Amino acid sequence: MNKIIVTFSVNGKEITLKVGPQERLLDTLREQLKLTGTKEGCSIGECGACTVILDGKAVSSCLILTGQIGGSEVFTIEGLEKDGKLDPLQQAFIDYNAVQCGFCTPGMLMSAKALLMHNSHPTREKIKTALDGNLCRCTGYEQIIEAIESVAK
Amino acid sequence: MLHAKVLRSRYPHAKINKIEIKRALTFPKVKALLTAADIPNNEFGVIIQNQQVLAKEYVYYIGDGIAMVAAETEEAAERALELIEVDYEELPGIYDPEEASKKAALRVHPELKDNQVVHHILRKGDVNDGFAQSDIILEREYSTQFIEHSYIEPEAIVAVPHDNNHLITIYGSIQNPFACRNAVASVLMVNLNEVRIIQNHIGGSFGGKDEVMSAMAARASVLALKTKRPVKMVNSRYESILESYKRHPYKMKYKIGASRDGKLLSMEIQCIADSGAYACQTPFVTWRSVVQATGPYNLSNVKTDTYGYYTNNVYTGAMRGYGSPQIIFAQESLMDELAGELNMSPVEIRLKNIYHNNSITASGQKLDNHKVSLEEVMGKAVKASGYYGKYDLYRDNRSKPGDKKRGIGIAISFRGCSLGAEAVDAAGAVVAIQKDGSILITSGLAENGQGLKTVLSQIAAEELGVDMKRVIYLELDTSISPDSGSTVASRGTILGGNAVKEAMIKLKNRILEMTAKKYKMKEKNIIIKDDHLIEKNTNKILLSFEKAVELAYQEGVCLSALGWYHAPDISWNEETGQGRPYFTYVYGCQIAEVEVDVGTGKVDLLKMTAAHDVGKAINPACLKGQIYGGVMMGMGYGLMEELETDKGYIKNANFDEYLIPTIKDMPEINPIIVENPDPNGPFGAKSIGEPTLEIGAAAIANAVAQATGKRIRHLPLNLERVLLGYSLSKGGRKK
Amino acid sequence: MINYDFLTTSKLEKALNYLDKSAYVKVIAGGTDILVDIHNKSKRLPEISHLLDISHIATLNFIQQVDHHIEIGPLVTHSGLIHESLIKNNFPVLVEAANTIGSTQIRNRGTIGGNICNASPAADLLPPLIALKAELILTGKREERIIPLKTFLTAPYKTVIQPHELLSKIIIPILGDNYYTDFQKIGRRKALSISRLSLALVTKIDKKGIFLDTRVVPGSATPYPQSLPETEKAINGKSIFNINLEEIGKITSEEMVFITGERWSTPYKKPTIAVLTKRALKKIIEEAKTNE
Repeated sequence: MNKIIVTFSVNGKEITLKVGPQERLLDTLREQLKLTGTKEGCSIGECGACTVILDGKAVSSCLILTGQIGGSEVFTIEGLEKDGKLDPLQQAFIDYNAVQCGFCTPGMLMSAKALLMHNSHPTREKIKTALDGNLCRCTGYEQIIEAIESVAK
Repeated sequence: MLHAKVLRSRYPHAKINKIEIKRALTFPKVKALLTAADIPNNEFGVIIQNQQVLAKEYVYYIGDGIAMVAAETEEAAERALELIEVDYEELPGIYDPEEASKKAALRVHPELKDNQVVHHILRKGDVNDGFAQSDIILEREYSTQFIEHSYIEPEAIVAVPHDNNHLITIYGSIQNPFACRNAVASVLMVNLNEVRIIQNHIGGSFGGKDEVMSAMAARASVLALKTKRPVKMVNSRYESILESYKRHPYKMKYKIGASRDGKLLSMEIQCIADSGAYACQTPFVTWRSVVQATGPYNLSNVKTDTYGYYTNNVYTGAMRGYGSPQIIFAQESLMDELAGELNMSPVEIRLKNIYHNNSITASGQKLDNHKVSLEEVMGKAVKASGYYGKYDLYRDNRSKPGDKKRGIGIAISFRGCSLGAEAVDAAGAVVAIQKDGSILITSGLAENGQGLKTVLSQIAAEELGVDMKRVIYLELDTSISPDSGSTVASRGTILGGNAVKEAMIKLKNRILEMTAKKYKMKEKNIIIKDDHLIEKNTNKILLSFEKAVELAYQEGVCLSALGWYHAPDISWNEETGQGRPYFTYVYGCQIAEVEVDVGTGKVDLLKMTAAHDVGKAINPACLKGQIYGGVMMGMGYGLMEELETDKGYIKNANFDEYLIPTIKDMPEINPIIVENPDPNGPFGAKSIGEPTLEIGAAAIANAVAQATGKRIRHLPLNLERVLLGYSLSKGGRKK
Repeated sequence: MINYDFLTTSKLEKALNYLDKSAYVKVIAGGTDILVDIHNKSKRLPEISHLLDISHIATLNFIQQVDHHIEIGPLVTHSGLIHESLIKNNFPVLVEAANTIGSTQIRNRGTIGGNICNASPAADLLPPLIALKAELILTGKREERIIPLKTFLTAPYKTVIQPHELLSKIIIPILGDNYYTDFQKIGRRKALSISRLSLALVTKIDKKGIFLDTRVVPGSATPYPQSLPETEKAINGKSIFNINLEEIGKITSEEMVFITGERWSTPYKKPTIAVLTKRALKKIIEEAKTNE
């Protein structure tokens, strides 16, 4: 099987990688780039734990082959923090107790960030829609919504 | 590091005639391929040691592992698995615990005399007398489903051989590291101190990362010792759902007798739990059920029998609630049914029968060492939810035209805190104040995402009188933390908090003693407050905490302390079910408001009001998080979750078909924290984790019954059950 | 494990060349169906030697009005449909359906072309597209053909597309004046929910309040989405003022069961398809009455 050479940017940095034909973006991020903030929860796009922002849109990285994203911009959870300073969304998650076990949190933050990038004052309904593909088993979602609302005010 | 994968059974019940491994073993990058024959001691178990690490002669359920491969890459391991050829003899299986209970039933474990895992008994008074005196008797049957824990992080382990003076060190997503260590040591046939388990951040557990992790840790350890290299084992979601144990499905028969004015006189209960292929924690899960099956109601006459039976279904074990959600669904539905027959309101009939201070439970335990706050939690929830007005409104609207019908339903529970008679109930913490005033804590109880680290750090800081920022709470390491049993049964705060508190008190006293000597004062006149040592009466600052610690260090004062808390004595008579099964209890009430689309069967949970007596709220934000999370898990239990099995095969082994609530399914949740400080708890705090989940489904069922006028006695209340009264399954009608 | 090699191109001709050369080349766009099937080792998958990524072919990603039609490229994502004013204004029923698909992440990647070619009996866009009388252009290296969507589907997950063909365009005639549409869906939860049952209804109501040119297409109800001609016949010619909705519902149930036969899900779907039909009609009637 032939490897593919693909060039794309991750968190603002352009990279060129050799990837396998079946290598998913999730695998590339975690295994090649050691960006393990993006998680694998179900492998079939049903839980959102693997959510990243691709060309400005929230997507499930378990359902993307890295070979497909030449020329694209990928933004992962590691890219939220800037120069050691937390993104307001991350701080809000802390302040509003929106994190329990933390496993769904990177995906939640990515979906929230993607929303706020396009709509800085979303309603509660719009927040729920933006996060409708992110499952959480611990928090019951309420404090996550409150955290995002606090940034969206 | 090598990657390992497990080959699992093709059939739910089969004999393994031969495992052909040649082709797999020679596949490139494969470093080891092992089967049951390579496991030193292949059977483990917390209570009954009959769970196989790998299947030896027989597979007992579809998730049984048969062989395992360690290879340089995960891909190579997966490909090698495909090359293993297993010659099975498929065997008939038994998939219904009631069938399994019969004398002539096929035995799941042929070496045992029958399929009974356990039978718990509770007898109080004389139920036949009670029924004879009753004006009304109801007999009902209820049943609940297999539930998957659905932690978003699947199981993961790394086993490192010959590390830091240990034979094997295991890092992993492990809820109960000490139970895991027990299992691994017994499998490897080595001493406990040769096995080290370090718990990493867990991505959720809810009781589910116990025996499945023990099996995974044992497997990875054997491979690591064989290859002399670290071995990583991670489950896919599909593997996780296939292999990991589930919540017990229960079949329950309730007979209740009451007087015309709603006073309960007699209750006869039988619960049958499906234990699946292994005993796992069935004996303990069904024990909590036998204690609590009546619900928090005064009864002079009770006869309860709970049973667990082996089947060839996926095995069942601990899950948040632990034998309580099932019985609460039954008992709270039954109370509403009785209320309906007697033309009483659901609140009225409960108020007539609930426990108060000094009430005597079905086990003959007098509730006299804490505030029994059922009336209070009920009152607060009823008031906040507008129950009375809505109950009448919805009852009147039911006969009006329209497809959307609303209903409001109430459910209550009492819950024994911590382990009760299950196991030794003691916990420890080691606190080490460093010479610069920073603090390290290691506790035998573990952070599962519930906020234990935070709460125990808070308790520590509060007791000592310093800022919480000084504290670093370490990951649980079985070689360093004192064995405190498992972080289960909502015992983290009450046991762990008491242990930390005790350690802190010791350290505080040492610092105060040294300071008193230095300042020639009486010890009782000095307190530590806001990071300073202060003269109590004048509030004069004597010195800073850092300075005091530095001095203590110079004086050779020991700045480390072990805190140990042993829960108060409990007692249990196995023949009668009488005694003091738990040392204290918590009380909760949840009220659900639903809108049912009677045209399609869809139930919309509009609002959930949840009132919980927690003793003392150490961290209100964390408590609310537990309430929100518990309500959503209860919603799933009541409305949409069901692990479907068909003759032992699992039909919905991923999140596309095993449905847990999404953010869009959220109701409006009103969490009400009630505080009645418990003398047994640290600063009065007791439990929250399980109470929040165990009540929701019952409240929803009662609300749906009010909305539709039809009672459904099986969970979940999915589209088909609500519309048709029974569920459907490929192949035909289900219950 | 399923092994395949990977091809990608930004040129339609190159893609068609690949497809022409081998029958074992399978197309991937958004990947939200095919990658799940591959992960699950679905028995439905044909033998695959290569996955051909077409997501970079810009010429397949468009929405434009041409005379009295809207033309949509197969690579338009569900999110793309939802946010495009040409679609919102002309085919709100399509937007309603697209909004119920999966989740935000799925809608950002899944494409209209993928939804059509995967041809799941539960595909959410198929009922509205059939009700809107959509036509498809299937393009091969040497020739092209136009085929109505209703004849494109032949069985669950099966279509008439040939291995060398690519769906290159979806053409939907703009509805004239006085057309009303509605979409109903039953799911087990409110997001990430495969349709348990759905219904798309398109109809014209003339000045006298008479139903004309009605299209009724249920989803997850028949082996592949198809219209219900008996139901349509029963609605056409009736007046919004006195149409017997109970009667129509009954006809819909019976027609569905006639097509599928008694299945294990029939006890649920039989009454509920009637409910969805009645609700869709009721909504449209109220709308029509307000517009008078």
